[in-house]
Amino acid sequence: MAQYKRFGGIMAITLAATTGLTACGFGGSGGGEEGGGATTLDLLVPAYSDATQGLWNDVIAGFEEENPDINVELQVESWDNLESVIATRIQGNDAPDIYNGGPFAGFAEDELLYPVEEVTSDETYADFQPTFLENAQVGDTTYGLPWIASSRALFVNDALLEEAGAEVPTTWDELLASAKQVSELGGGVSGYGMPLGSEEAQAEAAVWLWGGGGSFGDAEQITIDTPENLEGAEFIKKMIDEGATQADAGASDRSPLFDIFVQGKLGMQVGLPPSVGQIESDNPDLEYSIHPIPTKDGGPFTLGVADHLMAFQNDGDKQEAITAFFDYLYTADVYVPWVQAEGFLPTTLSGSEQLADDEALAPFLETLPDAQFYPSTNPDWAAADSAFKALFGQLDSNKSAKDVLAEIQAQVDAG
Amino acid sequence: MKDLLKALPWIGPAVALIAAVVLFPVGLMFWNSTRDISQSGVDDGGVGLANFATVVGFQYFWPILGRTVIWVVVVVACTLLGSLALAALLNKAFPGRRLVRMAVIVPWAASVVMTTLVVHYGLEPYFGIINSFLVDIGLIDTPEGYGWTRHAGTAFAWAMAVAVFVSLPFTTYTILAGLQTVPGETVEAARIDGANGVRTYFSVVLPQLRGAISVAVLINIINVFNSLPILRVMTGSIPGYDADTVMTMIFKYMQNQRQIDLASALSVIAFLVVIGIVAIYVRAVRPLEEV
Repeated sequence: MAQYKRFGGIMAITLAATTGLTACGFGGSGGGEEGGGATTLDLLVPAYSDATQGLWNDVIAGFEEENPDINVELQVESWDNLESVIATRIQGNDAPDIYNGGPFAGFAEDELLYPVEEVTSDETYADFQPTFLENAQVGDTTYGLPWIASSRALFVNDALLEEAGAEVPTTWDELLASAKQVSELGGGVSGYGMPLGSEEAQAEAAVWLWGGGGSFGDAEQITIDTPENLEGAEFIKKMIDEGATQADAGASDRSPLFDIFVQGKLGMQVGLPPSVGQIESDNPDLEYSIHPIPTKDGGPFTLGVADHLMAFQNDGDKQEAITAFFDYLYTADVYVPWVQAEGFLPTTLSGSEQLADDEALAPFLETLPDAQFYPSTNPDWAAADSAFKALFGQLDSNKSAKDVLAEIQAQVDAG
Repeated sequence: MKDLLKALPWIGPAVALIAAVVLFPVGLMFWNSTRDISQSGVDDGGVGLANFATVVGFQYFWPILGRTVIWVVVVVACTLLGSLALAALLNKAFPGRRLVRMAVIVPWAASVVMTTLVVHYGLEPYFGIINSFLVDIGLIDTPEGYGWTRHAGTAFAWAMAVAVFVSLPFTTYTILAGLQTVPGETVEAARIDGANGVRTYFSVVLPQLRGAISVAVLINIINVFNSLPILRVMTGSIPGYDADTVMTMIFKYMQNQRQIDLASALSVIAFLVVIGIVAIYVRAVRPLEEV
């Protein structure tokens, strides 16, 4: 009998432990434990670089010192995992309070988010660049806090272009000619780095399709399969077919390809503000310069991208703590060092002022007024984004440009 | 009934554990496959079997299923042949056998993702060592090498090679264990009767390995069918759906398109396919019975 009791005890413990485990994995607590009057803010962010976690820890330490009654719990995920982590947590009723991500319209549509004006003071709200706020709205309500911005520009390997006798291009035709000249140097050198692989195919697509006068649509409708977009897609095919790009453009991811540019094996590639820092640390001897992206007719254009912070409502009892956190976070002295350390551009007026005389960022800050954004307020944008990633690289195959755009459109329409 | 109650304290913890970590997730998967779940994870109600219709109606579904069959058959067959040869070798006494036996374990002990990444980087154009080697010996005439992992066919073939490589250790050791249960007398008797080495192997040793081989094949079929990381790394950057198996397609639904409902539906299909294959296999080969 004594044995029975002991085994019964073990069984009870095991049962309790296993059910406890499932509870953690599935039900979750939904946050909001009010231990001793302290509020806990749950923060889910992606890693922009290896430094991201340290930067957030500094911000949190500073914030907690000023607000001793608020704890901030940080969770850092890689970009690859971020979106499945947030989806899983929402499904398990365990959404974070503050989330740093790209698309927000889907969350807004599901009525999960606080409008930004409810979780920021008037001063903080008024400090955002108006164009960025516009880009963060669904209808007339702002749901995303513009967090960091980037724009694109053409990185040119001056040494290679000089060796090939090519000019820095401003139009597509000049780009094709210069890239072909560089490709003819041989020895594994290619003229233009064209990353259509799954990593960020939508960005290269925007560079070409919008540069030819097309667009991906607006908040109401995603339009991919249009005559304007077809022009850009067909020119991409022409670049590939005439040997102006590296081999296998359709399956080349952006980051590994930019490593090849840094090694000096590519004539030109479209890059981001952090690319400057990458060249500086990996190959400081590279002779390069940064120019506006060539377009069909040479007009000014850049692809702007803003990532957003979002505040989830959850139980609706942390509004004040979230407001305090955002107001602290967007003070220029806290915000600008963060953005600068990651090599991006600020989205606030006070931040831009502080960075006005930073030389490395100047070519990008200049192009910012001509920036066009993804239609990320359209709830279908996420589907379009993944359709581009999965399908746009097929331009580098026997499929016609028209078929590729039609297939992307079909996948978007299917949701 | 009374016996069952008496046994409960002993089997109870195991039953509870199985319910929590096996039955509950499977049930949840079936449940999710009949729901309409938004991209951000909100459950928008039941839709019956519509998700299954969408998944099966997808224009690349049947090619993907066919490719999955090729993937499983080729990888398991090559693994089995390689393992039979390796196990026969390792069963012979030779100097340094202990070291060779330990070396065979290495691919098993190393992380699959790491092994695959090593091969993947080797295959990269511009800096991969496999590409550099092939360029240096003159097999490839473009100086940056060939994009092995950028073309569906070659990427899939390399993924199969890696899958065989990482499946070899387990299979080899299972068969080696089987070889050591083959009584020396039977082999000796065959020799006395005048059978040569080949004849002895195929007529005397191989039939006695039936149990070991059938268990190894069964476990390999399940493992290879469910293998994601190798294909994910090797074919991940290829656009379109020309190098996908059912597993990578589930991953694409979940990760790229964030359609958890469709991913669950395809998972259910994959689950049923595996159960079906295993059921047929168990009936036909009876791997768990003694010969």
